[in-house]
Amino acid sequence: MSQITYGTINDSVVESMVPPGKKWIIGFLMVLSALSMGVFAFSVQLRHGLEWSGINHPISWGVYITNFVFWIGIGHAGTLISAVLYLVRAPFRNSIYRASEAMTVFAVMTAGLFPIIHLGRAWFAYWLMPYPNQRELWVNFKSPLLWDVFAISTYMSVSIAFFILGLIPDLAAIRDESKGLKRFLYSIPALGFKGTNHQWIHYMRGYLLFAAIATPLVFSVHSIVSWDFAMSSLSGWHSTIFAPYFVAGAIFSGCAMVLTIMIPLRSAFPGFSAIISIKDLGGMAKMIIFTSLIVTYAYATEFFIAYYSGAKFERALFWFRPFGEMKWYFWLMVFCNCLVPVALWFKKLRNNLPTLFIISLLVNVGMWLERFNIVGTSLAHGFDPFAWGTYTFEWVEIWITIGSFGWFFMWFFIFVKIMPSIAVAEMKETLKPPMRKKNE
Amino acid sequence: MSKAFSGVWATFEYLDDTCAAIKELRDKGFQRITTHTPCPRHEIDHALGNPQSRIPFFTLLGGVTGFCLAIFIIVKMTLMWILPVSGKPVVSIPIMGPIAFEMSVLLSIYFTIGGLFFLIIRDTMRHGKPRSKKYKNYNRFMRDRFGIVVPCDDKALAEVELILKKHQAEEVIVEN
Repeated sequence: MSQITYGTINDSVVESMVPPGKKWIIGFLMVLSALSMGVFAFSVQLRHGLEWSGINHPISWGVYITNFVFWIGIGHAGTLISAVLYLVRAPFRNSIYRASEAMTVFAVMTAGLFPIIHLGRAWFAYWLMPYPNQRELWVNFKSPLLWDVFAISTYMSVSIAFFILGLIPDLAAIRDESKGLKRFLYSIPALGFKGTNHQWIHYMRGYLLFAAIATPLVFSVHSIVSWDFAMSSLSGWHSTIFAPYFVAGAIFSGCAMVLTIMIPLRSAFPGFSAIISIKDLGGMAKMIIFTSLIVTYAYATEFFIAYYSGAKFERALFWFRPFGEMKWYFWLMVFCNCLVPVALWFKKLRNNLPTLFIISLLVNVGMWLERFNIVGTSLAHGFDPFAWGTYTFEWVEIWITIGSFGWFFMWFFIFVKIMPSIAVAEMKETLKPPMRKKNE
Repeated sequence: MSKAFSGVWATFEYLDDTCAAIKELRDKGFQRITTHTPCPRHEIDHALGNPQSRIPFFTLLGGVTGFCLAIFIIVKMTLMWILPVSGKPVVSIPIMGPIAFEMSVLLSIYFTIGGLFFLIIRDTMRHGKPRSKKYKNYNRFMRDRFGIVVPCDDKALAEVELILKKHQAEEVIVEN
């Protein structure tokens, strides 16, 4: 660890950006195959309509809205790590924040596709935007769905801006390490950054303000997403705990996805193992333990509220979730989100990378199921028993879901090869600077 | 714009040498110093007398603008296209909260970025920088070297060069 110097950090990052090898190309082809499955399935749905998905009466929000909430949740960890952990000066942040910020941007880009996919007539997506028109059709500012349009667009803009701002000094470092055309290409996004005191002072102050502004944004966006559900009067949705419950769930799933990405990244590039320490990944594991406890508490609170309120529709729904025909989704969710993270209490398991990777995958599965439970079971078991229903997954939505992972990882594969996936300047900040007095 | 640069620049391997050189230069009256570091270092800020950034004013301005713009959009548009919902007031204050918040955040971020570019360009132009190819192509400031650029007139060149050499600069380049 003590051999890390300013220079070796540059070298490790430059090494990760060399032209791709066989493994990268095979991985990228797999990712593209997944994406093409999604594109094909979406084209079938565009041609034939939403009847090819599992959406039905009464479950009119199915896998697509589940995917939307899932990906927005994944997108939360990046800004949480960049902004919130920056403000609290968490030591495990520096080595992982760049990749998790990239993850945020790509996850929000993925999430943004799903409201459009869910529309059916995707070519009318622009109707969501409030602008003067002659169709006598206007958006309703009282609808949480419109708040969501503002929240997601803002979150995406801010995440991209935060990501790009953080990249500028590192792109300058890559520019200075390159020659010829590569140097020219990196000099454009580096914006003439030379590490002067005039640049650093405004940059650091601006970055701090970005972090301070992005922090409430992290909490607001998923709260607003939760209001898409909580503002309606449906049992299982109409709950005041939804905002904090969704935020904790988002951080939980986002941290798991960070581990899902960082562990293979660390082993793919040998230079990174000295930079991304086991301790840093352990820090993320502790975040998972903490948020898992909050999520478990929220599950318990939901059941308690259903019992204590005396509302019979609420009670009926919360009986349906664990014991009804969709019970497997519920129990699998409880297993993945409440029981599996208990393993992380043990340091030995927390520091074992294969175990950590498997746990992170299971948490991702659990969090997808949590969203499906919220979306699906509440709609399946509404007020009127005559309108109760169930959900069958159709191949189109399964393929589109696989395609969404292909889309997400495609960007990540490209990112790893053309951008520094470790924050060079911030990693240097954590090192002791070269001092003559110490060296003499 | 195309004023010739007159001054001295130097590169350092060690941070403490760089800070000592900056302090001595400032004591001798050279205040318009530009430094180069591979990452932000508080030691350099302290040596330069802890200069402050005016970025927060841009952020605040952006936040206020975004908030006002959101209120304007909501009020104007709800009055132009009236959508009565369940007997609720057409212009309702609570529903403005989320959109006003998001717009404040969005514009404060854009204003911060704008302010960042404006202030960096302004400060760089005020201080001047060497115009030689050697300076432009020097590759190690973003890797592992520290640098000091001191604009000064011809008479002071020798004095600045001496100070920088005294603090064990790796290279000292005089430009005029």
